[in-house]
Amino acid sequence: MEERPSPDPKNPLTSTISRRRLLINSGIVVGGAMLVGPLAACGASPNTATTSTSPKRGGNFRLGVTGGGSGDIIDGQKIVTKPDQARLTAGFETLLEYDENYKLQTTGLAESVTQDAPDKWTIRLKQGITFHDGKTLGADDVIYSLQRISDPKQGLFGTAGLASVDPNNITKVDDRTVRLNLKHADSTIGDQLGQYYNGMVPVGYTRAGQQIGTGPYKVQSFTKGQQSVHVRNANYWRNNGEPWFDQVTIIDFPDVAAQVNALLSGQIDAMTDIPAAQINVVKNHGSLGILEGQGADWRPLCMAIDMPPFDDNKVRQAFRLMVDRNAMVQQVFSGHGRIANDLYSPFDAAYDSSLPQRHQDIAQAKSLLHQAGKDNLVVDLHTTDGAAGMVDSANIFATQAKAAGVTVNVHNDPNYYGDQYLKLAFSVDFWGTRNYLPQVANGSIPTAPYNECHWPPKDSNYISLYQQALAEPSSGKRADIIHQMQKLEYDQGGYIIPMFNNLVDAYNTKVAGFKNGSKATLNLDTFGHGYRTIWFA
Amino acid sequence: MATGPSGSPSATLQVEPLAGPVMLDRSGAAGGPARTGGIRMFILRRVLQGVLVLVLVSIVVFAATQALPGDPARAILGRGATPASLAALREQLHLNQPVVQQYLTWATGLLHGDAGRSLAAQEPVSKLLADRLVNTAFLLLLSGLISIPLSVALGAYAALWRDRPFDVVTSLLTLVLAALPEFVVGVALVVLFATTVFKILPAITLIPPGGRPWDQPVAMILPTLTLVIAVTPYVARIMRASMVEVLESDYVEMARLKGLSERLVLRRHALPNALGPTFQVIAINLAYLAGGVIVVEYIFNFAGIGGALRDAVANRDIPVVQALAMVIASLYVVLNLLADIGTILVTPRMRTKL
Repeated sequence: MEERPSPDPKNPLTSTISRRRLLINSGIVVGGAMLVGPLAACGASPNTATTSTSPKRGGNFRLGVTGGGSGDIIDGQKIVTKPDQARLTAGFETLLEYDENYKLQTTGLAESVTQDAPDKWTIRLKQGITFHDGKTLGADDVIYSLQRISDPKQGLFGTAGLASVDPNNITKVDDRTVRLNLKHADSTIGDQLGQYYNGMVPVGYTRAGQQIGTGPYKVQSFTKGQQSVHVRNANYWRNNGEPWFDQVTIIDFPDVAAQVNALLSGQIDAMTDIPAAQINVVKNHGSLGILEGQGADWRPLCMAIDMPPFDDNKVRQAFRLMVDRNAMVQQVFSGHGRIANDLYSPFDAAYDSSLPQRHQDIAQAKSLLHQAGKDNLVVDLHTTDGAAGMVDSANIFATQAKAAGVTVNVHNDPNYYGDQYLKLAFSVDFWGTRNYLPQVANGSIPTAPYNECHWPPKDSNYISLYQQALAEPSSGKRADIIHQMQKLEYDQGGYIIPMFNNLVDAYNTKVAGFKNGSKATLNLDTFGHGYRTIWFA
Repeated sequence: MATGPSGSPSATLQVEPLAGPVMLDRSGAAGGPARTGGIRMFILRRVLQGVLVLVLVSIVVFAATQALPGDPARAILGRGATPASLAALREQLHLNQPVVQQYLTWATGLLHGDAGRSLAAQEPVSKLLADRLVNTAFLLLLSGLISIPLSVALGAYAALWRDRPFDVVTSLLTLVLAALPEFVVGVALVVLFATTVFKILPAITLIPPGGRPWDQPVAMILPTLTLVIAVTPYVARIMRASMVEVLESDYVEMARLKGLSERLVLRRHALPNALGPTFQVIAINLAYLAGGVIVVEYIFNFAGIGGALRDAVANRDIPVVQALAMVIASLYVVLNLLADIGTILVTPRMRTKL
């Protein structure tokens, strides 16, 4: 239950790229005030009738979020269900933030985050940021927050990503400055500090206690499986008029049809995850609009590289050539997605887009299988209803594989994440958005918690490349190393990654400030940045 | 999930109206004239039978959820399973005890009103379900209060005016509506009254936490109407059939020949006898609603036990599933008991046999 996360227990984001340059460039100078101008301007929604009025105060923004149930929580550093994401972003903020191009920015709580040495980072907080209870955010809170994330007993999402942080070796330089002395070199700390679920909480914070963060809205009430009400934080630190709503109400919707009906009848102002079949209904409605962000969630078909028949790389290559990726985007996501190239982390600046795009090639696939002595192959493919598209992807792949003479028996197993998980030769899984190195830490090395493909091969230099990349402070050189790693996975890897899906949401056009086409990691483009950059026109 | 537990009330409908009274007849006859004690003894017997049924149900529910082969703790935790969390969960579910003792621990807890803690919510089950039970109970009660008199009246008048326009129209209408599953009815009502044709009613029922359904009368209209439409056709059709039979019976003819007013004939002689079989159908249908309400709660995002059950099954939240299964089973037993008593009370022939 806990980790049955359609939303994305593993949906981090990261930018290995220009982090360092950005942090250094934007450091000291960029205050909160700078961000607002551009964002507000973007707010003039490009696709709908929303006019570019200036923001104004007031109203109760009612958001319907898909899913939720009695497992709901509010925690500044963890989610279980998708509505939990919507609640977290209202109340909690991170040290760094990702912008609409998935680049790290110092628009968050930190004035700067710098890597002083491969294993030393310094965090400098902005001045005058207060928590909901009036207390000023200080170095002690940052230390407490990072120690809480690092504590494996808490079961938080950020733990794996901050594995290099030594919780006992975080030092307070002054009231606003914290130094991290890592266990080993790690160039991805900045990325991790921008993950939405690594929110800053005050000293002594617990999930069971009061929900106090620095975010734009304070929790007023919360009922699991039903709704939560958040009221405007009048002392919000950005001092630019944000947030605009008086109140935000977040409502759970286990059923998407009810969610659409509530939007159509005006009982909610926006909803996450509009089903493809309803998109035209919404478009034709007149007062509703669609917000589509490029997502980077992925549902790989995972071939375990050390289990037959996939221990032969020819079989893996053949299977990768059997997929009709365009057809899959059409059939699984009704076209609301982009084809992928068997590599993850497409938003990473180090993503190697020069590798040739794989297309379906049945003749070549058959020939590879023949060379491997695997004509008329029969394989089992295990899947489950863990995230939208997991079952569809498996079934469509099975149909496509027939053309190459391969019989794929799909097993839809409700107990998929039980005993057999990670021990299967061929299975479907799902992942959220992350940059490359953090994703490797979670799924592509032997110490990763979810290494479905049992990657890398024993004789590969992949792991040493990974360690080099973590220790490499120059983003350019690091990108070169990452390209080598991606090439290895592209040539020999066990993942079939057919596509990335878009995040498609719907809203009433009386809400202004949404921007289409962002590289988004959360729905409604990161929930209007904690419901700050949207308002009732 | 789209279909309720008893799938097709239409199937039971053929049997129940007959089965009910027949069964009662037999139990009365078995005791013979010597067996007296009257209505009180009868109720007592039925209550004891009901308790026995619940005990059996509790064993089945327990066996199906917790005692089946395999490790429930692993099934529940799935991907997030660690040795420590598995051990903690086994402890919480008492999985280390022998099965019989697990059952007894659980059953004694239930009797003391302690249904355990929800695994997903980490709260007592009773706290989690209290508001939802009130919401669902109100929805069912409201639907029952409207649909029962409505269906009895429709059926009785249709029988009285047999083959006249009113009868033809209601017969056709009830036949069509009985053929529609409630999710179709619900969705159609939403399209008609909330989202597309007339935008006059709320499409979903939002009961704010801590709020009560009766504070939201307008939002209750569509879910209630959906359930009323789900129940009324069956009951009305049975009532009509039953009434037609009674109106053709010798004793009604006798009463008419005696010169009693038509009003009195209907009220004193026809209606009570026609109601007997109908009670059974009403009970079955209301009990069916307790399960069928899942679909309606789904359509209207209604915070009731149906949603909680769906959620608990999805989360493998065993204590909640067990508690809800027992709640729904109890409702079945109680409604059947009430129906039997009602049938006895309105049927002099049976009353005297007791």
